[in-house]
Amino acid sequence: MNREEFDIIRREFDGSNSPEESASFRSLMEREPSPHLKQAILEAMPRQTRSFNPLYALIGGFMNRKTMILGGAVVLAAAIFIAGKVTGWPPSGDKAGTIGGVEPAARYKGRTMTEADVTIKNPEIQTLFQNEQVLNLVKSDAFREAMRNQQFRELMASDAYRQIMASDAYRQIAASDAYRSLQASDAYRQLESSAAFRQLAAQGAFRQIAASDASRQVNASDANRQAINASDAARQLQASDAYRQIANSDAFRQLQASDAFRSLQQNDAFRSLQSSDAFRELQANDAFRQLQASDAFRSLQSSDAFRSLQASDAFRSLSRSSELSDVFMREAMRSQQ
Amino acid sequence: MKELPAATDEQDRLLVKRCLEGQPDGPIGLVDRYHKRLFNVALRMLGDVQDAEDVTQTVFFNAFDKLRSYDPKYRFFSWIYRMTVNESLNLLKRKKRTVTLEDIVAIKAPGPDHDAEVNDLVGRALMELKPNDRAVVVLSHFASFSYQEIADMLDIPVQTVKSRLHEAREKLRRKI
Repeated sequence: MNREEFDIIRREFDGSNSPEESASFRSLMEREPSPHLKQAILEAMPRQTRSFNPLYALIGGFMNRKTMILGGAVVLAAAIFIAGKVTGWPPSGDKAGTIGGVEPAARYKGRTMTEADVTIKNPEIQTLFQNEQVLNLVKSDAFREAMRNQQFRELMASDAYRQIMASDAYRQIAASDAYRSLQASDAYRQLESSAAFRQLAAQGAFRQIAASDASRQVNASDANRQAINASDAARQLQASDAYRQIANSDAFRQLQASDAFRSLQQNDAFRSLQSSDAFRELQANDAFRQLQASDAFRSLQSSDAFRSLQASDAFRSLSRSSELSDVFMREAMRSQQ
Repeated sequence: MKELPAATDEQDRLLVKRCLEGQPDGPIGLVDRYHKRLFNVALRMLGDVQDAEDVTQTVFFNAFDKLRSYDPKYRFFSWIYRMTVNESLNLLKRKKRTVTLEDIVAIKAPGPDHDAEVNDLVGRALMELKPNDRAVVVLSHFASFSYQEIADMLDIPVQTVKSRLHEAREKLRRKI
């Protein structure tokens, strides 16, 4: 900055600039927006430019909230994955001690010890089962119901689920402080437990968006964001009462403003997971949708004990090992009997 | 920032009319005309490029949403600037956080080093003002609105505009 420019700035706030100098000040301070901004605005309202469509206005809110909505679904999905880890699904078939039956408690009754049982001595497992909340959780009806849920089993047995569970991205997310902090927030809990969120996630339009190529690449370019917003599915979604209720809720706003959510959104692992084929398939999975809508699973997810379990270091350690997850599950089954 | 041409009101009215008729040149013309100005106002209010772009988009969407209820006896650019300031203030409230000096770094992003240096100096000083005071400064010094226009936009008395501006200028002078 040269002396003249500095003087123009200083005099502007002194009120001593001439009109021409004030114009120079404004020119000096003017910034160029992203070259995509104008295009983004225009592309998001194609219907508007052809004929005035009242529905078009709803896209406005969607533009900036879309990622958050999808992100919310990702977080919800991540909670489900963790639950899956606890229960030991999907069954790995050839691995001794794996759980996959419809009646798990009966199946394992009286079963002989296997090599995998040795890991019951694992300190993480022991820590978890010494925790009263964990014991209460595995004995709870909600936990039992979730494990017996057909959709849950189908989901956990899917290739998409297996791939996600095996990915580094998922592991990083589950272990991140941002994810833990987010799940512990009141805003997230309120949002997740709301009827509107449930209705929204269950909508076919939502699934279309989640499964679309553009959604998969949502963080990659503005063009993909625009493609989503211009889609019929997006318009249907925005026209729904559920969407409007969520977008206008205090819980959603608080969530958007939270450091944890922002941190998670910017997390490379989160983005990687969101853009993976496996995640896209999962979002489009009928079992996944039905599971999200089930009372049993929602009840499980919203329980303090489940959240406490998810947040524990012992569980995080355990969740990285399928063998340890199996052992945990067997112990949980025994506790239920 | 370019000065608004004398024929602004008439041109805006024409573009709004074209929008309401469903003609594509209506919204294109309005976006072309105002997106950069609104972005700059939002940027000065928020201190963050991404937030400013989000607010700009939201304002346009909302403007088109409400276009049928827009009263042409008011100036279009006053209306849309008002929406920009209000949307920026709302975003700041929603965030419920103090913008830190580190956030100001984002302002530097689009320009070369020289511009960044200038904007950094002013941007830092601006972000240390209260949001309501900042709004008055931005509308007065960065968008060249009169006291009366600012008072109308923010729905406050002219005297309040003057006192806020006076106080804010004092702070800015000390900072710069």
